[in-house]
Amino acid sequence: MFFRMLRGALFRQKSKMIMIAITIALGASLATAMLNIMFDVGDKMNQELKTYGANITVVPKASSVLNGLYEMDEEDSSAYLKEEELGKIKTIFWAFNIVDFSPFVNTTATLNSKPVKTVGTWYNHHLALPTGEELDAGVTSLRSWWDIKDGKWIDEQNTDSDKVAMVGTVLAEREGVKAGDSITLSTSHGTETLTVSGIFDAGGDEDEQIYTTLAVAQRLSSKAGQLDSIEVSALTTPDNELAVKAAKEGPASLTPKEYETWYCTAYVSSICYQIQEVITDSVAAPVRQVADSEGNIMEKTELLMILITILSLLGSALGISNLVTASVMERSNEIGLMKAVGARDRQVTGLVLTEILITAIIGGAAGYLMGYGFAQIIGHTVFNSSIEMKPMVIPIVAVLIVIVTLIGSIPAIRMMQRLRPAEVLHGR
Amino acid sequence: MKKQKMFLRMISASLIRRRSRMLVALLAIAVGATILSGLVTIYYDVPRQMGEQFRNYGANMIFTPSEADALTRKDIEAGLSHIPADQVVGCAPYRYEGVTIVERPYMAAGTDLSEVQKTSPYWNVDGEWPSASGEILVGKNVASTFAVKPGDTMTLSYALQNPDGTAATADEARDIPTNDVKFNVTGILDTGGNEEDYVFISVEDMTSLTGNDGGFDVAELSVSASSEELQRYVDNINDEKTAVSSRLVKRVTQSENTVLSKLQALVFLVTAIVLLLTMICVATTMMAVVTERRKEVGLRKALGASDGSIIMEFMGEGLLLGGVGGLLGSFLGFAFAQAVSVNVFNSSITFHFLLVPLTILVSILVTGISCILPVRSAIDIDPALVLKGE
Repeated sequence: MFFRMLRGALFRQKSKMIMIAITIALGASLATAMLNIMFDVGDKMNQELKTYGANITVVPKASSVLNGLYEMDEEDSSAYLKEEELGKIKTIFWAFNIVDFSPFVNTTATLNSKPVKTVGTWYNHHLALPTGEELDAGVTSLRSWWDIKDGKWIDEQNTDSDKVAMVGTVLAEREGVKAGDSITLSTSHGTETLTVSGIFDAGGDEDEQIYTTLAVAQRLSSKAGQLDSIEVSALTTPDNELAVKAAKEGPASLTPKEYETWYCTAYVSSICYQIQEVITDSVAAPVRQVADSEGNIMEKTELLMILITILSLLGSALGISNLVTASVMERSNEIGLMKAVGARDRQVTGLVLTEILITAIIGGAAGYLMGYGFAQIIGHTVFNSSIEMKPMVIPIVAVLIVIVTLIGSIPAIRMMQRLRPAEVLHGR
Repeated sequence: MKKQKMFLRMISASLIRRRSRMLVALLAIAVGATILSGLVTIYYDVPRQMGEQFRNYGANMIFTPSEADALTRKDIEAGLSHIPADQVVGCAPYRYEGVTIVERPYMAAGTDLSEVQKTSPYWNVDGEWPSASGEILVGKNVASTFAVKPGDTMTLSYALQNPDGTAATADEARDIPTNDVKFNVTGILDTGGNEEDYVFISVEDMTSLTGNDGGFDVAELSVSASSEELQRYVDNINDEKTAVSSRLVKRVTQSENTVLSKLQALVFLVTAIVLLLTMICVATTMMAVVTERRKEVGLRKALGASDGSIIMEFMGEGLLLGGVGGLLGSFLGFAFAQAVSVNVFNSSITFHFLLVPLTILVSILVTGISCILPVRSAIDIDPALVLKGE
């Protein structure tokens, strides 16, 4: 009898049930979309913040103490990093979080009998890693704010010769250099004639420098296989107390359990530590300007999204429970009749709740799919990439819908129990 | 006159006698309106609030001398006058001089350290920022070279006959009379950048160390403004051809532009989708509430009411509900937006009065449309059928 009545209610009152299902679906899709975006917004914003450039610099151990003004005396500095170890950066525990990195070799060369700081680096160096991953690493993405005024970026993958250079705009103006020209750089170690690929405007000191390929700079400074520094751009988790403690007192001060948590979290300090482990005699330090600000902005964005999510969850919860209340109240005639023919409160409650829960499950499932769609629309429009659908959102949404529907039924059920059949059937 | 009275009486009667149902409808509208006004307020406020967060990246504009060797305070103030004072987060002038510490050349910067804390919030100081005269902030690399800790002292020597500001080498310094000043180390600076190779003292200490007031080499500014505004300030300052030439720190301004526009797009889309869904939600609830009254429509039609008057009455109810709900919602929404702003950004927001009529208008529209649909369908049916119950 119960099932027959249930079926009757669900099918005969189709339009009403569809209305409830639609509202629940809307609420569920809102919850799904917002929760998924909330969980993914950290990663997405982190990617966007990569436009600020590297957040970790790696320098040789000895020079990390005494660089600065001594940078001028590069010939004397014997400390260097090994080029052959570069690939190891992508083998650390958090290798997946390393989005970009680039080696640097600095030297002072003579152009038109004037000294010019010359930097050798990667532009879009193609790396095929042993893991099968492929990566284009270099300053084209690490210096995304550079404006190429004339010509184009050095394209390492499509040029056969490594004898190319890019010239800072201030220097280019002073020396009358244009894209396509040839310039001759000389040092005590040799002379190189390079083709100018482009003129860049960096809005900083780089505007008076020459950027060339790693090999050219190494030849000019006779530093074959050696590097002065590496800049690494890594996705990191904002620091917490543990990370601050590890950074301040060193990983040795942590208990084994803390150490494990710290090592296995993508804090900027633990990534630095892991880079130091794989690169011999190196010191990796966070660039505070980038690393700290990143953490700050990420935290605010996440908090903002959490609060907006809470608002929309509350809104959809109220919307659903409201409609459930309204639709049960509307059926007071029917319920009065049931009570008049001898149905108990419990039986009536059970029937109404089952009806609504079935509708809720159908609506919730449809809503999840809709929410998936909305999340993807946002992901593609804003970040040009899809939003990762976290499996944990499904149980959250399911529990939420069930709780909200049940809570929404409470006023209706109380009303039902107070209902006097005679009054209702009489018409007031 | 009589008709109008009846109209009002019917509306108020239906609102009062069907209290619980109307409460349900009102709640739905108020929730919708809250979300509307809350999200729109946040949407308008986020760029400004987030922009302030981006000032964490440090200076986004710098002043350099255009012709003279150095900037005076007056020059900097002249440059600053082109920028609205409430947008300037901080302005830190720097004067760099070569000094020797235990016969090694180093660069010392004389600056306004309280302004530096505003322009470079990312500077991490182990110990205290210098606050009194005779105190020094030491870069991490310098500190590890001399193994100094906060609380130690450090002596800076300035070669008096080296007024052009170039660093005196250790050999030269021996033969030239120097001015030695002892400083108390209050903090060690950790930035991960070049600053770790410098020492920082106050401008006054720099003047007494060098024996002259040499002016500033550069001033770093942190300005909370959009990239177009920043560019306009820079152009204005440079056009005026004063002693100051200004330029933007591209890395900071350009990147801020990219990230901020993404963030804005995100909040915009989220707002749009949440609003759309919420409005549909409100509409379905209203429709459910009105559908229930089909019988009433049928009865009234049977008694001879015209279609127009029935629609008018339902619309009147919707108008009232939408208005009250919208008014409630616009204040609740502001309270929510305020809570978000205080929690996330630690600052309050201004109340947008224009949002109140907008919220009310949208609420009335949504309520009206969702009332009309079921009422129209009830009107179209023969009253006899409706009264019979389908």
